Amino acid sequence: MGLNDEAPPPVIGKSPGLLGEGTPAFLTSKVDFLVNWARRNSLWPMPLGTACCGIEMMASYASDFDLARFGMERMSFSPRQADVLICAGRVTYKFAPVLRRIWDQMPQPKWCVSMGACASTGGVFDVYSMVQGIDTIVPVDVYVPGCPPRPESLIYALMMVQEKIKQESLDQHSALRAEDPAAVAKPRADSDEIASLSGPFGNSTKQNRVSGLVQTDAISRPDDRIP
Amino acid sequence: MADDRSSFDAVVEGPKPSSEVTADLVKLDSPSEAHPSVLALQDLFGEAILRHELVATDQHIVFIPPDRSLEILTWLRDDPDQQYDLLRDVTAIDYGGGRPLQVVYQLFSFFHKQALRVKCELPLDALEIDSVYGLWVAADWLEREVYDLFGITFKGHPDLRRILMPPDYAEGHPLRKDFPLRGRFSRAEQTRRALSQDLEHYYFESELERGGESQALPPVDEPEALPQVEDHQALPPAESGGGSGKGVEATE
Repeated sequence: MGLNDEAPPPVIGKSPGLLGEGTPAFLTSKVDFLVNWARRNSLWPMPLGTACCGIEMMASYASDFDLARFGMERMSFSPRQADVLICAGRVTYKFAPVLRRIWDQMPQPKWCVSMGACASTGGVFDVYSMVQGIDTIVPVDVYVPGCPPRPESLIYALMMVQEKIKQESLDQHSALRAEDPAAVAKPRADSDEIASLSGPFGNSTKQNRVSGLVQTDAISRPDDRIP
Repeated sequence: MADDRSSFDAVVEGPKPSSEVTADLVKLDSPSEAHPSVLALQDLFGEAILRHELVATDQHIVFIPPDRSLEILTWLRDDPDQQYDLLRDVTAIDYGGGRPLQVVYQLFSFFHKQALRVKCELPLDALEIDSVYGLWVAADWLEREVYDLFGITFKGHPDLRRILMPPDYAEGHPLRKDFPLRGRFSRAEQTRRALSQDLEHYYFESELERGGESQALPPVDEPEALPQVEDHQALPPAESGGGSGKGVEATE
Protein backbone atom coordinates (compact mmCIF):
# COMPACT_ATOMS: atom_id res chain seq x y z
CA MET A 1 0.00 0.00 0.00
CA GLY A 2 1.47 3.33 1.07
CA LEU A 3 4.18 4.05 -1.40
CA ASN A 4 2.50 2.24 -4.27
CA ASP A 5 -0.66 4.30 -3.94
CA GLU A 6 1.15 7.55 -4.51
CA ALA A 7 1.57 9.09 -7.92
CA PRO A 8 4.42 7.50 -9.92
CA PRO A 9 7.63 9.54 -9.87
CA PRO A 10 8.41 11.56 -12.95
CA VAL A 11 10.23 9.57 -15.60
CA ILE A 12 13.71 10.84 -16.22
CA GLY A 13 15.44 9.23 -19.13
CA LYS A 14 15.02 5.58 -20.11
CA SER A 15 17.65 3.86 -17.95
CA PRO A 16 16.57 1.69 -15.02
CA GLY A 17 16.88 3.82 -11.90
CA LEU A 18 18.26 3.11 -8.45
CA LEU A 19 14.84 2.33 -7.02
CA GLY A 20 13.31 0.63 -10.05
CA GLU A 21 12.20 1.38 -13.56
CA GLY A 22 11.85 5.04 -14.23
CA THR A 23 13.43 6.30 -11.00
CA PRO A 24 16.52 8.55 -11.00
CA ALA A 25 19.87 6.93 -11.66
CA PHE A 26 21.66 9.20 -9.23
CA LEU A 27 21.58 10.27 -5.59
CA THR A 28 22.20 13.56 -3.98
CA SER A 29 24.01 13.69 -0.70
CA LYS A 30 26.50 15.72 1.25
CA VAL A 31 30.23 15.09 0.84
CA ASP A 32 30.61 15.25 4.62
CA PHE A 33 28.05 12.51 5.07
CA LEU A 34 29.59 10.25 2.45
CA VAL A 35 33.15 10.73 3.67
CA ASN A 36 32.19 10.21 7.29
CA TRP A 37 30.06 7.20 6.37
CA ALA A 38 33.00 5.60 4.63
CA ARG A 39 35.43 6.45 7.39
CA ARG A 40 33.39 5.34 10.34
CA ASN A 41 32.38 2.01 8.87
CA SER A 42 35.84 0.78 8.06
CA LEU A 43 37.89 1.75 11.07
CA TRP A 44 41.00 -0.36 11.08
CA PRO A 45 42.33 -0.65 14.61
CA MET A 46 45.97 -0.65 15.62
CA PRO A 47 45.88 -2.96 18.63
CA LEU A 48 48.35 -2.10 21.35
CA GLY A 49 47.64 -4.64 24.08
CA THR A 50 50.20 -4.31 26.85
CA ALA A 51 48.34 -5.95 29.73
CA CYS A 52 45.11 -7.64 30.78
CA CYS A 53 43.05 -5.09 28.81
CA GLY A 54 44.65 -6.63 25.74
CA ILE A 55 42.92 -9.92 26.57
CA GLU A 56 39.54 -8.19 26.67
CA MET A 57 40.40 -6.47 23.41
CA MET A 58 41.13 -9.85 21.82
CA ALA A 59 37.82 -11.12 23.16
CA SER A 60 36.14 -8.17 21.46
CA TYR A 61 37.57 -9.25 18.13
CA ALA A 62 36.62 -12.88 18.62
CA SER A 63 33.38 -14.46 17.56
CA ASP A 64 31.24 -13.72 20.62
CA PHE A 65 31.48 -9.97 20.26
CA ASP A 66 32.87 -9.72 16.73
CA LEU A 67 34.07 -6.23 16.02
CA ALA A 68 33.88 -7.11 12.31
CA ARG A 69 30.25 -6.06 12.58
CA PHE A 70 31.58 -2.51 12.83
CA GLY A 71 33.84 -2.76 9.81
CA MET A 72 36.87 -3.62 11.95
CA GLU A 73 37.60 -7.10 10.75
CA ARG A 74 41.18 -6.32 9.96
CA MET A 75 43.55 -5.83 12.87
CA SER A 76 46.15 -3.56 11.41
CA PHE A 77 49.43 -4.57 12.94
CA SER A 78 51.17 -1.89 10.92
CA PRO A 79 50.46 1.66 12.08
CA ARG A 80 50.75 2.79 8.47
CA GLN A 81 47.39 1.23 7.62
CA ALA A 82 45.55 1.92 10.88
CA ASP A 83 42.81 4.38 11.77
CA VAL A 84 42.21 3.82 15.50
CA LEU A 85 44.91 3.29 18.07
CA ILE A 86 43.50 1.15 20.86
CA CYS A 87 45.90 1.45 23.76
CA ALA A 88 44.87 -1.43 26.01
CA GLY A 89 46.95 -1.71 29.15
CA ARG A 90 49.53 0.05 31.21
CA VAL A 91 52.23 2.11 29.56
CA THR A 92 55.62 2.52 31.18
CA TYR A 93 57.93 5.44 30.61
CA LYS A 94 60.24 3.04 28.84
CA PHE A 95 57.43 2.17 26.45
CA ALA A 96 56.22 5.75 26.02
CA PRO A 97 58.44 6.60 23.02
CA VAL A 98 57.20 3.46 21.27
CA LEU A 99 53.59 4.52 21.78
CA ARG A 100 54.36 8.00 20.52
CA ARG A 101 56.20 6.67 17.48
CA ILE A 102 53.30 4.38 16.59
CA TRP A 103 50.93 7.34 16.86
CA ASP A 104 53.23 9.49 14.72
CA GLN A 105 53.40 6.76 12.09
CA MET A 106 49.64 6.49 11.73
CA PRO A 107 48.31 8.54 8.81
CA GLN A 108 45.47 11.00 9.17
CA PRO A 109 42.61 10.67 9.78
CA LYS A 110 43.31 8.83 13.03
CA TRP A 111 41.67 8.40 16.39
CA CYS A 112 42.79 7.07 19.73
CA VAL A 113 40.97 5.00 22.32
CA SER A 114 42.49 4.74 25.79
CA MET A 115 41.22 1.45 27.14
CA GLY A 116 41.17 0.78 30.86
CA ALA A 117 42.16 2.55 34.03
CA CYS A 118 45.93 2.19 33.54
CA ALA A 119 46.06 3.63 30.06
CA SER A 120 43.69 6.45 31.02
CA THR A 121 45.15 7.50 34.38
CA GLY A 122 47.94 5.16 35.39
CA GLY A 123 45.45 3.22 37.48
CA VAL A 124 46.83 1.73 40.65
CA PHE A 125 50.36 2.17 39.32
CA ASP A 126 51.06 5.62 40.69
CA VAL A 127 54.78 4.85 40.71
CA TYR A 128 58.10 5.94 39.28
CA SER A 129 57.93 3.83 36.15
CA MET A 130 54.42 4.39 34.86
CA VAL A 131 52.91 6.98 32.52
CA GLN A 132 50.00 8.60 34.36
CA GLY A 133 47.54 8.53 31.49
CA ILE A 134 48.50 8.26 27.84
CA ASP A 135 46.83 11.62 27.21
CA THR A 136 50.12 13.14 28.32
CA ILE A 137 51.74 11.42 25.31
CA VAL A 138 49.10 11.28 22.56
CA PRO A 139 45.70 12.94 22.12
CA VAL A 140 42.91 10.63 23.23
CA ASP A 141 39.39 10.67 21.76
CA VAL A 142 37.58 8.19 23.99
CA TYR A 143 38.50 6.87 27.42
CA VAL A 144 37.13 3.49 28.48
CA PRO A 145 36.78 3.03 32.25
CA GLY A 146 37.17 -0.39 33.80
CA CYS A 147 39.85 -2.70 35.08
CA PRO A 148 39.77 -4.27 32.60
CA PRO A 149 36.70 -3.06 30.68
CA ARG A 150 34.42 -5.71 29.30
CA PRO A 151 34.21 -6.07 25.50
CA GLU A 152 30.85 -4.28 25.56
CA SER A 153 32.63 -1.23 26.94
CA LEU A 154 35.18 -1.28 24.15
CA ILE A 155 32.45 -1.71 21.56
CA TYR A 156 30.60 1.23 23.09
CA ALA A 157 33.78 3.30 22.96
CA LEU A 158 34.27 2.47 19.29
CA MET A 159 30.66 3.42 18.62
CA MET A 160 31.43 6.72 20.34
CA VAL A 161 34.36 7.14 17.98
CA GLN A 162 31.90 6.55 15.14
CA GLU A 163 29.59 9.19 16.58
CA LYS A 164 32.53 11.56 16.80
CA ILE A 165 33.38 10.93 13.16
CA LYS A 166 29.77 11.72 12.23
CA GLN A 167 30.23 15.21 13.66
CA GLU A 168 33.28 15.98 11.55
CA SER A 169 33.11 18.20 8.53
CA LEU A 170 35.59 18.66 5.72
CA ASP A 171 35.78 22.38 6.36
CA GLN A 172 37.29 21.57 9.76
CA HIS A 173 39.77 19.24 8.14
CA SER A 174 42.81 21.48 8.35
CA ALA A 175 42.05 22.25 11.99
CA LEU A 176 41.27 18.68 13.06
CA ARG A 177 43.62 16.70 10.90
CA ALA A 178 46.68 18.88 10.56
CA GLU A 179 50.04 17.27 11.27
CA ASP A 180 52.71 19.29 12.99
CA PRO A 181 56.20 17.96 12.27
CA ALA A 182 57.51 19.89 15.26
CA ALA A 183 55.25 17.87 17.58
CA VAL A 184 56.66 14.50 16.54
CA ALA A 185 58.03 12.49 19.46
CA LYS A 186 57.12 15.24 21.92
CA PRO A 187 54.69 15.04 24.84
CA ARG A 188 51.20 16.11 23.88
CA ALA A 189 50.71 18.31 26.92
CA ASP A 190 52.88 21.02 28.43
CA SER A 191 54.49 20.66 31.83
CA ASP A 192 51.67 22.21 33.84
CA GLU A 193 49.06 20.04 32.18
CA ILE A 194 51.10 16.90 32.73
CA ALA A 195 51.52 17.83 36.39
CA SER A 196 47.81 18.35 36.82
CA LEU A 197 46.89 15.22 34.85
CA SER A 198 49.27 12.99 36.73
CA GLY A 199 49.00 14.43 40.20
CA PRO A 200 48.66 11.84 42.92
CA PHE A 201 45.18 10.87 43.96
CA GLY A 202 43.50 8.09 45.82
CA ASN A 203 43.30 6.99 49.41
CA SER A 204 46.85 5.74 49.71
CA THR A 205 48.33 9.18 49.40
CA LYS A 206 45.76 11.16 51.43
CA GLN A 207 45.34 13.29 48.37
CA ASN A 208 42.45 13.71 46.03
CA ARG A 209 42.29 15.34 42.63
CA VAL A 210 38.92 16.81 43.54
CA SER A 211 40.21 18.19 46.79
CA GLY A 212 42.20 21.05 45.41
CA LEU A 213 44.61 19.78 42.74
CA VAL A 214 47.54 20.29 45.06
CA GLN A 215 50.29 17.91 44.22
CA THR A 216 52.11 16.39 47.14
CA ASP A 217 55.74 15.44 47.07
CA ALA A 218 57.01 11.92 47.49
CA ILE A 219 55.12 10.02 50.13
CA SER A 220 56.77 10.24 53.48
CA ARG A 221 55.57 7.47 55.75
CA PRO A 222 58.23 6.97 58.40
CA ASP A 223 56.14 4.28 60.04
CA ASP A 224 56.74 2.01 57.08
CA ARG A 225 60.47 1.96 57.66
CA ILE A 226 61.98 -0.55 60.00
CA PRO A 227 64.16 1.54 62.36
CA MET B 1 57.89 -30.62 66.56
CA ALA B 2 57.05 -34.31 66.27
CA ASP B 3 57.86 -36.09 63.02
CA ASP B 4 54.38 -37.53 62.50
CA ARG B 5 52.74 -34.16 62.14
CA SER B 6 51.43 -33.36 58.70
CA SER B 7 50.72 -29.91 57.37
CA PHE B 8 46.99 -30.63 57.56
CA ASP B 9 47.12 -30.89 61.35
CA ALA B 10 47.55 -27.17 61.66
CA VAL B 11 44.46 -26.65 59.50
CA VAL B 12 42.39 -29.04 61.61
CA GLU B 13 43.54 -27.50 64.87
CA GLY B 14 42.75 -23.97 63.72
CA PRO B 15 44.65 -20.82 64.56
CA LYS B 16 46.89 -20.85 67.58
CA PRO B 17 47.71 -18.04 69.98
CA SER B 18 50.87 -16.28 68.96
CA SER B 19 52.77 -17.44 72.04
CA GLU B 20 52.49 -21.07 70.95
CA VAL B 21 53.58 -20.24 67.41
CA THR B 22 56.78 -18.58 68.57
CA ALA B 23 57.48 -21.55 70.81
CA ASP B 24 57.28 -23.78 67.73
CA LEU B 25 59.69 -21.62 65.80
CA VAL B 26 62.22 -21.58 68.57
CA LYS B 27 62.12 -25.34 68.74
CA LEU B 28 62.61 -25.64 64.98
CA ASP B 29 65.70 -23.46 65.04
CA SER B 30 67.74 -26.06 66.88
CA PRO B 31 71.04 -27.61 65.79
CA SER B 32 69.41 -31.01 65.34
CA GLU B 33 67.47 -29.67 62.37
CA ALA B 34 70.62 -28.38 60.73
CA HIS B 35 71.16 -28.65 57.01
CA PRO B 36 74.05 -30.98 55.94
CA SER B 37 75.54 -28.23 53.78
CA VAL B 38 75.39 -25.80 56.67
CA LEU B 39 77.27 -28.20 58.94
CA ALA B 40 79.87 -28.80 56.25
CA LEU B 41 80.26 -25.07 55.66
CA GLN B 42 80.72 -24.41 59.36
CA ASP B 43 83.34 -27.18 59.57
CA LEU B 44 85.30 -26.00 56.56
CA PHE B 45 85.01 -22.22 56.69
CA GLY B 46 84.52 -21.67 60.42
CA GLU B 47 84.49 -17.97 61.13
CA ALA B 48 83.47 -17.13 57.56
CA ILE B 49 80.01 -18.55 58.24
CA LEU B 50 78.73 -15.52 60.11
CA ARG B 51 75.24 -16.67 60.93
CA HIS B 52 72.75 -19.44 60.28
CA GLU B 53 69.02 -18.88 60.25
CA LEU B 54 66.03 -21.07 59.65
CA VAL B 55 62.84 -19.56 58.27
CA ALA B 56 59.59 -20.89 56.83
CA THR B 57 60.04 -24.27 58.53
CA ASP B 58 62.83 -25.59 56.33
CA GLN B 59 64.57 -22.77 54.52
CA HIS B 60 68.16 -22.53 55.74
CA ILE B 61 69.97 -19.24 55.36
CA VAL B 62 73.72 -18.86 55.64
CA PHE B 63 75.30 -15.45 56.01
CA ILE B 64 78.79 -15.11 54.57
CA PRO B 65 81.12 -12.12 54.22
CA PRO B 66 81.08 -10.53 50.74
CA ASP B 67 84.84 -10.69 50.30
CA ARG B 68 84.77 -14.50 50.53
CA SER B 69 81.48 -15.04 48.71
CA LEU B 70 83.02 -16.23 45.46
CA GLU B 71 85.24 -18.75 47.23
CA ILE B 72 82.40 -20.21 49.30
CA LEU B 73 79.92 -20.30 46.42
CA THR B 74 82.49 -21.98 44.19
CA TRP B 75 82.97 -24.64 46.83
CA LEU B 76 79.20 -25.10 47.15
CA ARG B 77 78.94 -25.65 43.43
CA ASP B 78 81.96 -27.94 42.99
CA ASP B 79 82.16 -30.05 46.13
CA PRO B 80 80.78 -33.53 45.39
CA ASP B 81 78.77 -33.54 48.61
CA GLN B 82 77.12 -30.21 47.79
CA GLN B 83 76.82 -29.84 43.99
CA TYR B 84 74.58 -26.77 43.98
CA ASP B 85 74.34 -26.76 40.20
CA LEU B 86 71.27 -24.54 39.87
CA LEU B 87 71.23 -20.86 40.70
CA ARG B 88 67.54 -20.22 41.14
CA ASP B 89 67.73 -16.55 41.92
CA VAL B 90 69.98 -13.64 42.69
CA THR B 91 68.23 -10.77 44.35
CA ALA B 92 68.73 -8.18 47.05
CA ILE B 93 66.85 -6.78 50.02
CA ASP B 94 66.94 -3.31 51.49
CA TYR B 95 65.49 -3.17 54.99
CA GLY B 96 65.97 0.59 55.18
CA GLY B 97 67.11 2.62 58.11
CA GLY B 98 70.71 2.67 56.93
CA ARG B 99 71.04 -1.07 57.42
CA PRO B 100 73.22 -3.03 55.01
CA LEU B 101 71.77 -4.35 51.78
CA GLN B 102 71.52 -8.11 51.55
CA VAL B 103 72.43 -9.94 48.37
CA VAL B 104 70.58 -13.25 48.23
CA TYR B 105 71.64 -16.35 46.33
CA GLN B 106 69.01 -19.05 46.15
CA LEU B 107 70.75 -22.32 45.33
CA PHE B 108 69.44 -25.75 44.53
CA SER B 109 71.20 -29.06 44.07
CA PHE B 110 69.56 -31.40 41.58
CA PHE B 111 71.78 -34.26 42.68
CA HIS B 112 71.11 -34.01 46.43
CA LYS B 113 67.68 -32.44 46.01
CA GLN B 114 68.22 -29.77 48.59
CA ALA B 115 68.04 -26.02 48.65
CA LEU B 116 70.19 -23.44 50.38
CA ARG B 117 69.95 -19.69 50.63
CA VAL B 118 73.17 -17.74 50.92
CA LYS B 119 73.19 -14.09 51.93
CA CYS B 120 75.87 -11.43 51.89
CA GLU B 121 75.45 -8.18 53.73
CA LEU B 122 76.89 -5.12 51.99
CA PRO B 123 77.25 -1.84 53.89
CA LEU B 124 75.70 1.09 52.04
CA ASP B 125 79.07 2.73 51.41
CA ALA B 126 80.59 -0.36 49.75
CA LEU B 127 78.01 -1.85 47.42
CA GLU B 128 80.33 -4.19 45.59
CA ILE B 129 80.48 -7.95 45.36
CA ASP B 130 82.05 -10.52 43.07
CA SER B 131 79.92 -11.66 40.18
CA VAL B 132 78.97 -15.33 40.10
CA TYR B 133 78.55 -15.25 36.32
CA GLY B 134 81.60 -17.50 36.07
CA LEU B 135 79.88 -20.14 38.23
CA TRP B 136 76.33 -19.99 36.91
CA VAL B 137 75.61 -18.30 33.58
CA ALA B 138 72.06 -17.73 34.86
CA ALA B 139 73.48 -14.93 36.99
CA ASP B 140 73.88 -12.73 33.91
CA TRP B 141 70.47 -11.04 33.80
CA LEU B 142 69.75 -11.59 37.50
CA GLU B 143 72.79 -9.57 38.48
CA ARG B 144 71.96 -6.93 35.92
CA GLU B 145 68.53 -6.62 37.51
CA VAL B 146 70.00 -6.25 41.01
CA TYR B 147 72.45 -3.67 39.68
CA ASP B 148 69.62 -1.80 37.97
CA LEU B 149 67.20 -1.72 40.89
CA PHE B 150 69.57 -1.65 43.89
CA GLY B 151 72.79 -0.16 42.54
CA ILE B 152 75.01 -3.05 43.62
CA THR B 153 78.08 -3.46 41.42
CA PHE B 154 79.05 -7.01 40.50
CA LYS B 155 82.77 -7.16 39.90
CA GLY B 156 83.66 -9.29 36.90
CA HIS B 157 80.23 -9.26 35.27
CA PRO B 158 80.73 -9.20 31.50
CA ASP B 159 77.91 -6.78 30.65
CA LEU B 160 76.74 -4.86 33.69
CA ARG B 161 74.17 -2.31 32.55
CA ARG B 162 70.55 -1.52 33.27
CA ILE B 163 68.05 -4.14 32.18
CA LEU B 164 64.58 -2.97 33.28
CA MET B 165 64.85 0.79 33.54
CA PRO B 166 65.78 2.86 30.46
CA PRO B 167 69.52 2.99 29.77
CA ASP B 168 69.71 6.73 30.45
CA TYR B 169 67.63 6.58 33.64
CA ALA B 170 69.04 9.25 35.93
CA GLU B 171 66.87 9.02 39.04
CA GLY B 172 68.79 6.29 40.82
CA HIS B 173 67.93 2.76 41.80
CA PRO B 174 64.20 2.37 42.38
CA LEU B 175 63.99 -0.53 44.81
CA ARG B 176 66.15 1.17 47.42
CA LYS B 177 64.17 2.25 50.47
CA ASP B 178 65.38 5.84 50.15
CA PHE B 179 63.92 6.07 46.64
CA PRO B 180 60.63 8.01 46.57
CA LEU B 181 57.72 6.00 45.21
CA ARG B 182 57.02 8.35 42.31
CA GLY B 183 60.65 8.89 41.38
CA ARG B 184 62.83 11.92 41.96
CA PHE B 185 61.81 14.04 38.98
CA SER B 186 58.45 15.66 38.33
CA ARG B 187 56.01 13.83 36.09
CA ALA B 188 56.55 16.41 33.35
CA GLU B 189 60.30 15.91 33.46
CA GLN B 190 59.88 12.13 33.51
CA THR B 191 57.61 12.32 30.45
CA ARG B 192 60.00 14.62 28.63
CA ARG B 193 62.97 12.38 29.36
CA ALA B 194 61.03 9.26 28.39
CA LEU B 195 60.05 10.67 25.01
CA SER B 196 63.57 11.85 24.25
CA GLN B 197 64.90 8.29 24.52
CA ASP B 198 66.61 6.88 21.49
CA LEU B 199 64.79 3.63 20.75
CA GLU B 200 67.86 2.21 19.02
CA HIS B 201 69.55 2.24 22.45
CA TYR B 202 67.80 -0.99 23.26
CA TYR B 203 69.73 -2.92 20.65
CA PHE B 204 73.36 -3.78 20.23
CA GLU B 205 74.87 -2.44 17.07
CA SER B 206 75.37 -6.01 15.89
CA GLU B 207 71.63 -6.71 16.38
CA LEU B 208 70.67 -3.77 14.19
CA GLU B 209 73.15 -4.91 11.54
CA ARG B 210 71.74 -8.41 11.62
CA GLY B 211 68.31 -7.07 10.67
CA GLY B 212 69.86 -5.35 7.67
CA GLU B 213 71.63 -8.47 6.53
CA SER B 214 68.53 -10.65 6.56
CA GLN B 215 66.70 -8.16 4.37
CA ALA B 216 69.48 -8.04 1.81
CA LEU B 217 69.07 -10.29 -1.23
CA PRO B 218 71.51 -13.18 -1.49
CA PRO B 219 74.20 -12.72 -4.12
CA VAL B 220 73.20 -14.18 -7.49
CA ASP B 221 76.50 -15.58 -8.67
CA GLU B 222 78.63 -17.55 -6.28
CA PRO B 223 81.45 -19.06 -8.28
CA GLU B 224 82.64 -21.19 -5.36
CA ALA B 225 79.27 -22.83 -4.73
CA LEU B 226 79.30 -25.31 -7.63
CA PRO B 227 82.77 -26.80 -7.06
CA GLN B 228 81.77 -27.52 -3.46
CA VAL B 229 78.84 -29.64 -4.61
CA GLU B 230 81.11 -31.53 -6.95
CA ASP B 231 83.43 -32.28 -4.05
CA HIS B 232 80.54 -33.81 -2.14
CA GLN B 233 79.65 -35.83 -5.19
CA ALA B 234 83.00 -37.52 -4.98
CA LEU B 235 82.24 -38.69 -1.45
CA PRO B 236 79.16 -40.99 -1.83
CA PRO B 237 81.10 -44.25 -2.34
CA ALA B 238 82.63 -43.79 1.08
CA GLU B 239 79.43 -42.60 2.78
CA SER B 240 75.98 -44.11 2.85
CA GLY B 241 72.47 -42.70 3.04
CA GLY B 242 72.72 -38.89 3.28
CA GLY B 243 75.85 -38.75 1.17
CA SER B 244 74.25 -40.46 -1.82
CA GLY B 245 71.21 -38.17 -1.45
CA LYS B 246 73.42 -35.17 -1.97
CA GLY B 247 74.81 -36.77 -5.07
CA VAL B 248 71.32 -37.13 -6.57
CA GLU B 249 70.56 -33.46 -5.85
CA ALA B 250 73.73 -32.40 -7.57
CA THR B 251 72.95 -34.38 -10.72
CA GLU B 252 69.49 -32.82 -10.91
